[in-house]
Amino acid sequence: MIRTFIWIAAIIAASAIAFVLGGYATDVYRKMLIWIALALSYNFLFGTAGQVAFSHFAFAGVGAYGVVILSTKLGLPFGIAFIGAMALCALIAFIVAVPSTRLEGFYLALATLAFAQLFTVLINEGGDLTGGTGGIAGYSLPSIFGLQLRGPWYTVVLVLLVAGTLLLLNRLDNSSFGRACRAIRENPAVAAAMGINVRRTKVITFTLTSTLAGLAGIAYAYTDNVINPPVFGLENVFLLLFMIIVGGMGRPLGAVVGAILLYLAPFFLEPIVGHGYLVIFGILVVLAILYQPAGLAGLIDRGLGLLRPRSQS
Amino acid sequence: MSGPPLIRVSGLSKRFGGLTAVEDLSFDVGHGEILAVIGPNGAGKTTTFNLITGMLTPTTGQIELDGQRIDGLPVHRIAALGMLRTFQHNMPFAGMSLTDNVMIGAHRRFSASVVDILLQRSHVLAEEKQTRARAAELIDFVGLGHHLHADVTTLSFGEGRLLEIARALAGDPRVILLDEPAAGLTASEVKRLSTLIRTIAANGVSVLLIEHDMHFLMPLAERIVVLNFGRKIGEGTSQEIAANTAVVEAYLGSSINQLGQGGAHA
Repeated sequence: MIRTFIWIAAIIAASAIAFVLGGYATDVYRKMLIWIALALSYNFLFGTAGQVAFSHFAFAGVGAYGVVILSTKLGLPFGIAFIGAMALCALIAFIVAVPSTRLEGFYLALATLAFAQLFTVLINEGGDLTGGTGGIAGYSLPSIFGLQLRGPWYTVVLVLLVAGTLLLLNRLDNSSFGRACRAIRENPAVAAAMGINVRRTKVITFTLTSTLAGLAGIAYAYTDNVINPPVFGLENVFLLLFMIIVGGMGRPLGAVVGAILLYLAPFFLEPIVGHGYLVIFGILVVLAILYQPAGLAGLIDRGLGLLRPRSQS
Repeated sequence: MSGPPLIRVSGLSKRFGGLTAVEDLSFDVGHGEILAVIGPNGAGKTTTFNLITGMLTPTTGQIELDGQRIDGLPVHRIAALGMLRTFQHNMPFAGMSLTDNVMIGAHRRFSASVVDILLQRSHVLAEEKQTRARAAELIDFVGLGHHLHADVTTLSFGEGRLLEIARALAGDPRVILLDEPAAGLTASEVKRLSTLIRTIAANGVSVLLIEHDMHFLMPLAERIVVLNFGRKIGEGTSQEIAANTAVVEAYLGSSINQLGQGGAHA
């Protein structure tokens, strides 16, 4: 009961911010929400399930390009284009996952790296269909059930995207499935001996989180009503990886904190050190791995622990 | 023992290239029986466990669980049929709580699909709650109750052995395979372990056990299978095995004389 209330209060608060902000701040806030959504699903894949994959932004791209191409180039109604783009993400993720989860973790990293590169080449060379290096622009979100989701109301959609992603992943995380994912991350052979179907669990996790990345990609496509190749390249995947490591692997709180911090940091650091902020990120990651493997989420836990009266248990 | 055995191993062999680890091994395990597999290091005991649980595929021979052929099935399918094991070396899931570790053992008993979980159907939470309560009971049962909230990496070696057993029990196994459960335990821990294993078997769960500590094993095991160089060289009750000269020479050796004085070490 109280949890539900807190959830609703948080969603209302995060939505209310949308109506206060304006102009550039709105743009920053919206991108931050998309980063959080992507970090949450990537955290489940990489942090919780321990699958090292580099295809998360490629799948966001499949979602974004998918929905725009299906609706504007092929003229399908938005609802169908939306479902089609999601289904395309799930299908491609499944095709990538089945052969690569068969082998050791290293192979998934290579296969997803190859897929991410292939996707970038495809959208760059896609001619009229993908708009090439310039991407696609000049489309807009049609009214859905007579609703025009514009301005702050579109930001509310993004808040709901984050909340929905968090809700679904929390359910997974606190279930036998989430436990199985963590067991596989720690020791796949022992997990199998406990009755866990390792391959099936891995394939489902990869397909589900990649489809959630696609959903975030669809949301991104209508944020600025423009999509182009650099966004979906490898550079952003590494930033996502940094967010999870700095925030705290396997913890939704870590994903949120890591995404907010590393997304906002350049706005403050760039005027001072220019592109040198990437060096600072690199140092942060190394420090986190060496001294704080539980990341910022671990620090927050410790901080809260100090505030609470000590109890013997 | 009456009725068909729970496990029937027949003509089991495993070759690694030119090395024969297990050769033409046959034995049965009855319902609720405590059967020990003994033999010198390298006799093929752990290989036999790995073959029975599906972690290795037999070169020849068959394994039946309750009349069903299980050789060649994937490891998780065999575990899901109710065959759960512990490992010779403690294998806790390091990044997880003690309760979660034990709950992993109960994986085969969950009926919720991923869709059920995503939609949070009512039985999902009920199952989760029930399994969590049962895990806490088991942790108590094996004697780790005071460590309920401990980080599993901080457990002592002996406590780690107990965690392995609790984890395997969580799945309500029909047979539990214990690979050297008493290794590294203190005298009082070994005593507790004996009681624990007897209780498990008394509940109708078959116990298949690899052990070196004869002092612990002899009064506990109902039957003993002796391996040497991958072959079965003896089978019988504790008394029969202790009286079997071939076994004594191959494995127990001179230490048989020390049995009364505090156990043999192989």
